[in-house]
Amino acid sequence: MHKQIMTVLVFTKLQTRRFFRDRLAQFFAILFPLIFLFVFGGLNSGSNNLSFKVAIFNDSNSVFSKQFVKQIEANSVFKVNKTLTSQSAAQDKMDKNQLDGMIILPKNFGEVAPGQTTPSGQIQVLYDHTSSNTGQTLTTILDSYVKQINSKLASAPQPFSVAGKELNSKSLTAFDYTFAGLLGFTIVGLGIFGPVNVFPELKKQGILRRLHTTPLRVWQYFMATMFSQAATGSISIGIQFIVAITIFHLKVDGNYLAIIAFTVLSIFMILGIGLAIGGWAKNERQAAPLSNIIVFPMLFLSGTFFPRFLMPHWLQTISDYLPLTPVIDGLRLLITEGKSLAQVGPEIGLILIWFVVIYAIAFRVFKWE
Amino acid sequence: MSKVILSVKKLRKVYDDKVAVDDISFEVKKGEIFGILGPNGAGKTTTLEMIESLRPIDGGEIIIDGLNVADKPDEVKKIIGVQPQTPAFQDKQKISEIVEMFAAAYGERVNPKKFLDEVQLGEKANSFAEKLSGGQRQRLSIAVALVHSPKVFFLDEPTTGLDPQARRNLWDLIGNVRDKGVTVIMTTHYMEEAEVLCDRVAIMDNGKIVALDTPKNLVKQLLGRGFKKKQIVEQADLEDVFIDLTGKALRE
Repeated sequence: MHKQIMTVLVFTKLQTRRFFRDRLAQFFAILFPLIFLFVFGGLNSGSNNLSFKVAIFNDSNSVFSKQFVKQIEANSVFKVNKTLTSQSAAQDKMDKNQLDGMIILPKNFGEVAPGQTTPSGQIQVLYDHTSSNTGQTLTTILDSYVKQINSKLASAPQPFSVAGKELNSKSLTAFDYTFAGLLGFTIVGLGIFGPVNVFPELKKQGILRRLHTTPLRVWQYFMATMFSQAATGSISIGIQFIVAITIFHLKVDGNYLAIIAFTVLSIFMILGIGLAIGGWAKNERQAAPLSNIIVFPMLFLSGTFFPRFLMPHWLQTISDYLPLTPVIDGLRLLITEGKSLAQVGPEIGLILIWFVVIYAIAFRVFKWE
Repeated sequence: MSKVILSVKKLRKVYDDKVAVDDISFEVKKGEIFGILGPNGAGKTTTLEMIESLRPIDGGEIIIDGLNVADKPDEVKKIIGVQPQTPAFQDKQKISEIVEMFAAAYGERVNPKKFLDEVQLGEKANSFAEKLSGGQRQRLSIAVALVHSPKVFFLDEPTTGLDPQARRNLWDLIGNVRDKGVTVIMTTHYMEEAEVLCDRVAIMDNGKIVALDTPKNLVKQLLGRGFKKKQIVEQADLEDVFIDLTGKALRE
């Protein structure tokens, strides 16, 4: 047994060393996920502040209306597009989803009507029916805005009021969701595309067949691949953490040891899919289509590129059980929600079940040539 | 009469409806170089691969050093060394690492330099496998096949595609291996190679062994049947001219 483990360790050492000489492997393991990180990180930065892109059309000449427009423009909730001069131009922008709504102050808005002591008027909010959620929110915000003005003008007692207060400083940003997904993407890239590309080539050249003339066992070869993948994967993921923390201000609330342990377990499990496909396939023509059929739906359904809560409910139910889903969910819970390993027990359980299933298949279908 | 190390009895292999190896039987003695000759498709490689436990045996029995290959493939793998027809190695690995890796596959740690020196590759220890010439790759392949001191060494057409210098060099190496007491079993297309190297040869055709004896005896038997070459044999041939003009030193 001691000798068999020595075999595994020597193979691990040599495979890992080989990685540091293979520029292509390094590109796909490290640089490629990093490019995605920059793209998605750039897309999501700062987008967690609520804001509306609006155009304001003031048809009134009153002093009040002009002040009102200035206040709206000064408010960070509104991003006022001042280049739009006509309502039809704004309508066009709205059709293209480049504008959330129009605020129209009608004629006589803010004037003091005969017999009144205070200014009055009605604001019109126009929004596209395809973004009615945004439009209604915009209306509500303007409504509460107007009520504040009303209370100052009328100075009537206010029996009810609502005070908003930010409770959870750990609330998730879009980037937090993206980051866990990108780590999942990295693990898939390493664990599946690695062996799927390498094994058929090794078979074609007869390199695996040559190894088969020795007493080397499949489990030894698999285990060495698992260890060296865990090493190279940790480097890649470590670099992504550094970039995410320094450039995209990722807040890591979890325990790093727990994150590492969970990541390594995930790498082992996902690698099994690559070992099964690459080990089964006789050549690239068998390996490439099968891996694409398995990988791409899984990437999308498991919430790699966008959060799963955006999917219809029935699709979420299916994707709950895919192998990559507990990996991404677990990583997010550990990294940004500060959960402990015990709290991600269900995710770990599902990963372990997949681990057993996947490796049972991988051992059964493995061919040396 | 020396000890028998390999005994093959009524060995059979059938692919679909084609009989690749047809009930062949032979024995190899300890310490000899045994050649299997025959045209392409005669069943040489299939026979070798069944003995090496790489292919299932459809019929018959193979015993190597007292081990039944069908029952104990893993035990057999520990006492044999295998040189495949076209040796290939993973790129971006130093050849010393390749030796280390194969030793590890047998559960052993070795000094790679020592094994590389034996095949005159000691100076190349830090080169990558993809930089080697055909002859160097064959020599590396011999080195890694011997890292675990096997009792029987199999070579499948080891000199195909090599220049005359590299081929002669390989003959010397194979002779050295035999001198250490290792039994060598090889296939070849080159009759002259078999005559120089092999103590005994089996000639295969269509899955059967059609002759088995020492090269000298086989020639004698042929002459005994009244065979005469059409032309008088020269005392030298073109290869002798080539070697005389270009020397025996390895070119790489």
